[in-house]
This record gives sequence, C-alpha cells and structure tokens, in this order.
Amino acid sequence: MTALTYAAPHVVATRRRRIAPFKVLSRALIILIVAVQVYPLLWLFMTSLRTETDYTEGNPFALPSALTLENYARAFRVGNLGRNIVNSLVVTLGANVLIVALGMMAAYAITVLGFRFSGVVRALFLLGIVVPVQIALVPLFIDYASVNLLDTYQSMIIPLAAFALPMSVYLFGSFFGYVPREAYEAASLDGAGPYRIFFGITLPLSINTIVTVVLVNSIFIWNDFIFANTFVLSDGLKTIPLGLQNYIGAMGKVDWTATFAAVCVTITPLLLVFLVLNRAVIQGIESGATKG
Amino acid sequence: MKRFLTVAVAAAAALTLAACSGSPKATSSATTGVDPSGEIKPHAISWLLSRPADGAVVTIMQQLAGEYAQSHSGFSLNLITTPDRPSYIQKYETLAAANKLPELFDTDATPFAQKLASQGKMVDAQALLKSLGVYNQFRPGALNYQRFDDGSLYMIPFEYQPEFFWYNKDLFTKAGVQVPTSLDDLPQICAKLKAAGVTPIALDGQDQWPLERYIAYKPFRLAGPDYVTGLKKGDKQLSDSTGKAAAQWVSDLGSNGCFSSDFSSTGYADAQALFTSGKAAIYNIGTWELSSLATTKLSATVRDNVDFFTLPTVANAVTDPNEYVTSSGIGMAVNSKTYDPLVRDFLKFALGKFFTIAAQQGSLVPVTGVTTTVPDNATPLYKKALDAADHVGTKLVMPWDTQLDPTSNTRLQQELVLLAQGKTTTDQFIDTMDTAIKQNAPKYFG
Amino acid sequence: MLPRRSRLSVLVFLVPPLAVYGIAVLFPILQSLFLSFFQWDGTTAPKAIGVANYARMLGGDSVFWHAFGNNLLYVAISIVIQIGSALIVANLLLTLTRGHAVVKTLYLLPAVISTVAIAFLFQRIYSVQPEGLLNQLLQAVGLGHLQQPWLSNISTVLTAVSIPEGWRFTGLYMLILHAAFLAVPAELEEAARLDGASRWQVFRLIRFPYIRPVWITTLIMAMTYDLRGFDIPYLLTNGGPGQSSELLTTYMYKTAFTSTDYGYASAISVFIVVECLVAVGLIFLVLRRRDQS
Repeated sequence: MTALTYAAPHVVATRRRRIAPFKVLSRALIILIVAVQVYPLLWLFMTSLRTETDYTEGNPFALPSALTLENYARAFRVGNLGRNIVNSLVVTLGANVLIVALGMMAAYAITVLGFRFSGVVRALFLLGIVVPVQIALVPLFIDYASVNLLDTYQSMIIPLAAFALPMSVYLFGSFFGYVPREAYEAASLDGAGPYRIFFGITLPLSINTIVTVVLVNSIFIWNDFIFANTFVLSDGLKTIPLGLQNYIGAMGKVDWTATFAAVCVTITPLLLVFLVLNRAVIQGIESGATKG
Repeated sequence: MKRFLTVAVAAAAALTLAACSGSPKATSSATTGVDPSGEIKPHAISWLLSRPADGAVVTIMQQLAGEYAQSHSGFSLNLITTPDRPSYIQKYETLAAANKLPELFDTDATPFAQKLASQGKMVDAQALLKSLGVYNQFRPGALNYQRFDDGSLYMIPFEYQPEFFWYNKDLFTKAGVQVPTSLDDLPQICAKLKAAGVTPIALDGQDQWPLERYIAYKPFRLAGPDYVTGLKKGDKQLSDSTGKAAAQWVSDLGSNGCFSSDFSSTGYADAQALFTSGKAAIYNIGTWELSSLATTKLSATVRDNVDFFTLPTVANAVTDPNEYVTSSGIGMAVNSKTYDPLVRDFLKFALGKFFTIAAQQGSLVPVTGVTTTVPDNATPLYKKALDAADHVGTKLVMPWDTQLDPTSNTRLQQELVLLAQGKTTTDQFIDTMDTAIKQNAPKYFG
Repeated sequence: MLPRRSRLSVLVFLVPPLAVYGIAVLFPILQSLFLSFFQWDGTTAPKAIGVANYARMLGGDSVFWHAFGNNLLYVAISIVIQIGSALIVANLLLTLTRGHAVVKTLYLLPAVISTVAIAFLFQRIYSVQPEGLLNQLLQAVGLGHLQQPWLSNISTVLTAVSIPEGWRFTGLYMLILHAAFLAVPAELEEAARLDGASRWQVFRLIRFPYIRPVWITTLIMAMTYDLRGFDIPYLLTNGGPGQSSELLTTYMYKTAFTSTDYGYASAISVFIVVECLVAVGLIFLVLRRRDQS
C-alpha cells in the first residue's frame, strides 16, 4: 500500500505525456465492445415495445414505427412474473449461500489445512466440473423422489449448488494459494486455531473471490431451465425460465413480443444486484482490503 | 478410494434396479376394472400436460375443477403444463422412469407410450369411455388418431384439428396458378410462385414435424395409411416404388424452391407471419390456427384473400380426397396406479361438460352433437373450415413422427431437411433411412 | 498445512461440502456411468450388455463421430472468442480510471439474458427472411454476394452457432481476468516501465506471467464449459441441417430423451467426461512443457 501511494504521482505524470493516443484508442475500443454487448438488450427492449403488426411485418432491426405497452400488459396478464421473480431470487440466493459456504470450507480444508488424501479429494471435486449435467437427471430424479424432495425449493437449490460446487472449490482453492503462508504462520504463532484463522484471515481476504463466485453462479442459476423443469411441478414454485413457457401457444407458437417484455422485466433485479456487487468488488480492491 | 468406489457403484446399482423393478411386468391391470368399487374420497389430483397455459383445455378444466370441488370438498386439480413439447417430453419420460407419473398425463400414441400401456401403467381408455357412456359421442377419426397400431385406445382426445393448405388467392392470381388438384402439380406451382417473387410455402423447419408431413402425403395417397405401419417395423422399405415416389416428391418441392432458403431455421411464429403478412402463398397448418387465419385482426389486404384447399390427391389414389391429416391433438392418459373412484367420477363430470364449453368458445371438438360457435371477429372462412371438418373421411394420415421409432424419426427429420435442400440425393436418403429403420425398429417393435 | 490444525477441524470443514457433493453429484453420476453398461429405456428392466454401448459408439456410429468433430471446432471458435476478447477487454479496462463497475456490468449483459431470448436474437441476426442484421450489413458494405442463410447452410451453420456461445460468456471470463490483473503489484509494472519497457512488453513480461495461474483456470473453465455447450445449438438449430451442427451433448440429450436409450446416452456422457479430462490434461502438459523450456 505504501509503495503504491509513493509511486502514484510518478505514474500519472509519465502516463499522461506518453500515451494520449493509446488512451483515446482504448476508450474507443471499450465503447465499441460495450456497444456490441449492450445491443442485444436494447434490441430486446425495443422489440418488446413493438406493436404486433410492426413486429410481424416490419424490419426487425429498424426502429419501431409505433410504441406500445400492450406486450407488457399481456406478459403480466398471462404470466405470473412477480411470483416467478421471487422464486428465482429464493433459489439463486439459497444456492449461492451453499456454494460460497461449502466451497470455501472445502477449499480451506484442502488447500490451507491439508490432509493425507487431499489430492484425491481435490480430484473428486474436479471430476464434477467436467460432467454434463443432463445425464444425471434421471438418476437424480429417482433419488430425489425416493426421499420426497421433489417439488420444493430444496430440490432446485441442492443440485444447482452441488453442481456448481466443484468450480467454487477450484476458484477458492486457487485464491487461497495466493495468500502468503506467513500470514497463517504468524497467526498460528499467536495461538490462533484453524477456526479463528478461517474467520479472521481467510474469510475477510476472500471478499473479492466470493463476489466473483456469486456473480458467475447467479448467472447460471438465474437462467437454469433444466433442473427447474425436471424437479418443479407446482405453479407456485416456477422460476423465471419456466414462467417464460407461459407465452408458448398451441404447437409451439411463441408470443415473442410478450416473451421479450417478460425477459426485460425479469432481468432487472439481477442487473441491480450486479451493479451493487460490482461496486463492492471495486471498493474492496481500492481500500486495499483484498488481494487476489 | 478403491473401496469407496466399489461401495458407491454397488449402491448405485441397487438403487437403479430398485427404481426399475417397481414397474410391474405386464400385469393384468390394463384389463381390470375401469369402474373400481369403493366410495369417492375427494383428494388432490394432478394432470401433467403439454398445452398452452391460457388455452381452452387449461382454462376450462380449471373452471370445471372449481365447480367439482364445490360439491366435493378436498378435491383439487393441479394442472402442470409445459407447453414446449421437447421440454415436456423430457419431463414426462423422467417421471415415467421414476414411476412418478401423476393421475393424468398427456402423451401422443408413440412407441414409448405403447410400452407404458403394455406394462399396465395406463387405464384402457376405450373401456373407460364406454363405461362412462360417452364412447359413442366421439368422432371415430378423433379416437383412431389416439390408437396404437394394434387398435387399442389408451388416450382421450380433447381437440379435433383437420389440417389444411391455406393459400393467398391474390398471390395465386398474380403468379397465374390454380389450386392444385394433384400432389404432382405442387412443384410447378411453387416454381411459378417463386418466379413471381413470393415464398411459395411458409414452412416452420425448426419444429421438424411440419416438413415431416410432406413425406407422409404421397404414400398416404398411393398406398394408404398402412404404409407407415409397415415401414416403421421394417416390413416395408422406402426403396419400394411408394417410398421412392415420396422421396422424389419432397426433393422436387425443394428443387423447385417451394421453401425459403432458410426454412430449416425458421420458427413457428415466423413461418406464420410470412403467410399472414402476404409474403408467402401457401401455409400448411391445422385448425388450431383458425383464430389467427380466419380473423378480422389480419390486415385487410391479406384477410379477404385467405382461403384453403385440402390435401391434393394423385392419379389412382387409394384414399379419398376428403381423407387427410386430422389430428386430435396430444391425448390424455389415465394412470392405472392411482386410478380410483374419485378420478373416475371427476372424469365423468369433466368429460360431460368440457366439449360443450369448448365448442361455445370457438374450438373444434372431438365429439359430435355439439356445434362450434363462430367467434365474433371471425371471417366467413371460419365457418367454411368448420363445415369441412364435419366432412372428413374415415382414413387418416398418421403423422410419421408419432409412428416411427424415435431414433429413426430423429434421423428422418434430419435427412428430410437435407433432401429438401438438395444436399443429399433421393437414393442416399432412401438408403440412410432404410438402414436406420432396420437398425432401430427391432428395439421398439421387436 | 497449518501447524495447529486438528483432525477434527479438517473433518468439520471437509465433511459438509463433501457430503452434499457426494450425495447430489457423485452418486447420481456414478449411477449413470453404471447405466452405460446396460440397455435401459426407462420403463422396462435394464439389461446388462457389457461394453456393447461403447463398442457401438466407438465402432459404428457415424453420427457420434460427426458430432465429435463438430464439437472440436465449436470449442475452438468459442474459446478464441471468449478468452481472446476477455483478455483484451480486461486489459483495456485497466486504462480506465473510473466507470469499471458500469462497463463490467454492461459487458456481462449477454450472459444475464435468458438463453431463449439470445437464441431468438441470433436466429434473427442470421436470417434471410425477414432479412437479418448480418445480411443487411453485408448488403450495406457492398458484400451483398456473400448474403446467405447462415443457419441453414451446412457449411456455415457450425460457425454460426459457435459465435453466440463465445460472445455470450466472454463477460464472465473477463471478470475473472480483470480481477487478477488488478492484483498485479503496481510497483512491478512501474519498475519495468522505468526500464523503458513498452506497453506490450509490460503485458507480455510482467502482467501476463503474473496472472498465469488465473489464466489457466479461466482456460480450463472455458474449455470444459464449451465442451459441454448445449442450449444455444439445441435451441437455434437442434443439430441441423442434417447433423451439421450436432454436438456430443445435443446428441446425448436426444439419445436419452428422444430415443429413451439411457444406457447409450450414458456411454456418450462418459466419453464427454473423458474428453474433458484429456483436454484439461493437455492444457497442463503444454503449459508445463513451456515452463521447462
């Protein structure tokens, strides 16, 4: 930290003179790339405001000739968006808590504490990264049915969390490897046991990694269709991807404009969470609280 | 480690086998009572279905279940719908594998369903409908569509949907073509329509089944409905004259530009939009789309130009012109394991009322004796379609996707696209399909 | 190893995650691996058939090998897009003094949007009728002769379905790489710069080597996710036309849930697992060799 403050004025001075064109170029590139990434959402939003005839007959990439909120009205009338969002939030939150807590614990035991068969256990976890989930559906369903776990929040949370666990263990593990040994040894000499070290050193240092793990997993869990479709039966438990099925008509005819209206409504909570979390990471880094 | 694995695998084996051994081996429950004794004890039942969430079946059934619950306190009907068919099938098969199918569930008359039926997992629908006294109300064609090829009936239909070739009269006139009387006219008509600058046939290639209809048409006219039942078991080959004619016809449709260049990735809604916006001349779809095609909501230029013709015939056809694809939709099966006096009583109540209400709301229904109300915003075409539906003959084109074994069917859907694109020859196509059916059919029909 | 750990503390930390993972993941996976030695249709009793499923897969199934070849190209394209642009953007972001959070969030947007909507968007971008964005752009820049049905042409479809997959998740990898770049000690870079190192040299000699472990993680993540890529090709083309965009995962899914041939589908998924392990092994092998040289 001291080195950083010391060097800072220097950096600013040299950079400003040498790299003005580079800076302009990189800004332009960032804007271009962001435009490519943002475009789909804008397109979705625009399409969700199109009238039915404009949608079927107009150029799908031109600006709408007229705007309407009718698609949103239909999306709310046919679907149960509020309920779906709440369910998705519960599942995403629940799974994330498990993923972070269990992932950190396993990584801590394997990487920091260490034990005789830690290599084998790590390999077991890594195996889970490479298995395609679709294949486990039938056995999973049979297992869950035998313990009456079907059609509950847990029936979505547990497999979602468990299948994300290997990646979480891996990310935490490689991060824990960065923490200098001396930090642990010093604490140990001060008489701290494994529990105090976990809560006193490892946990606070891991905020950044936690946020990354949560961000990555939230995306997959928020959009999960396959587990939800397999394990949920009642309407009251349907998550957003299942709710989007409400806009499918006879023989698979999709009401696309209503679907897009629903998509626009349902990604809003996730985006808000992202903005807040991203800010947290950056503040964490800038305050020098984390490294890694 | 080694020991752990051994234990785990042994446990896994035990569990898998336990789950499967739950399935009774062709017990006699298929023939046992459709009228179980005992009193009616109201409880919650579920129906796993694949129908639109705001469609007639779901809304009317919800309403009927509410009425029934008023006189049977404790009853409720949980409608679990997955409108997207592939997602539904995954769910239905997973539940079937775990022996967890609910009281009622939707299925087509597929080889998979036939296996369930032969294991006694479904209630004999023919016996059930007879015992409820409603069997004779059903249109024979609507029931035949649900039958397995041995003639047995395990699913109850809720729809009745003849399939027509909708066409745009204005575009036909501009291109100087007439409604085809023979299937063999269609390729030339396409060529002329294409030359006039329109997409001849709007085709939803993404969902596979619309193109698969086209391979079924020629054999149906030339050899009748038995052709596909022979073909799927390997008793007949596509390399015979009927099969060759069928493949050649699809290939001709493709080479004459009947379908747009990106038909294989065109979705359902897009194909329909091509037709309803006047960009495509022909659209082959069932009456479930009446409310989108015969409605005053369409733009005026297209609305008054829409008409339909039925499946053209061929010289020396063995089927009548009024015999074509008439589906009665995905059917509802009754789970024999959970069948009890309550399920029977509710079905009796629901089947007694459903069709009248559905017909009042403008749906075509699989029973006779009720008149479908023409909606207020319908064009005269609506009535014309209803009249045609009442004059459908007795033989049906069975869609091949419900007939062939699923593995061969998947292959057929893929190869058909290539055939229509001209990326494979008719000979290669026939060869690939005959080989696939020969390999796979024994697993399902052996 | 921590000096003051006890056997109990190891168990306290290890047992809960291992139990959840063992019950919810390992056990069902073992069950399905076990199924690969059976013929099972989900309704009748499973029949033990030894290695027949594997023999069929490796020996005579042309669709399987077609799908395998497709998978390799699919992974190659997706990875280049994902990791390549993630590296570039993560670096570019370092030159920004403010607004990281906004740019990062915006960059992640495609990953957040539901797959159904993404697939539909790309179907529109590639389409001919109504004229899609890509074909409109080609027309606008005078390359109208290149216009074509990207998803229906058997020679372009595989690339066309790989691009959305690559584009979609690049934000995730950027996020991870960016966090790693932020951790590169500023004094290291500054020292190099004072020695007259160019921007490229700073990247190649300081920054990149420093984040190498994270880079390898990202590469493995991307590789294994892409090898199991499923939903975009499934929704966009369902493997077609013909088998031109069939992947091992879509083929496995169809085998399991369309053909209800769970045993054979399990054999295919065992192959996917092996393929992923080989890929991870290759990454380590290549990178370790480079370390030694």
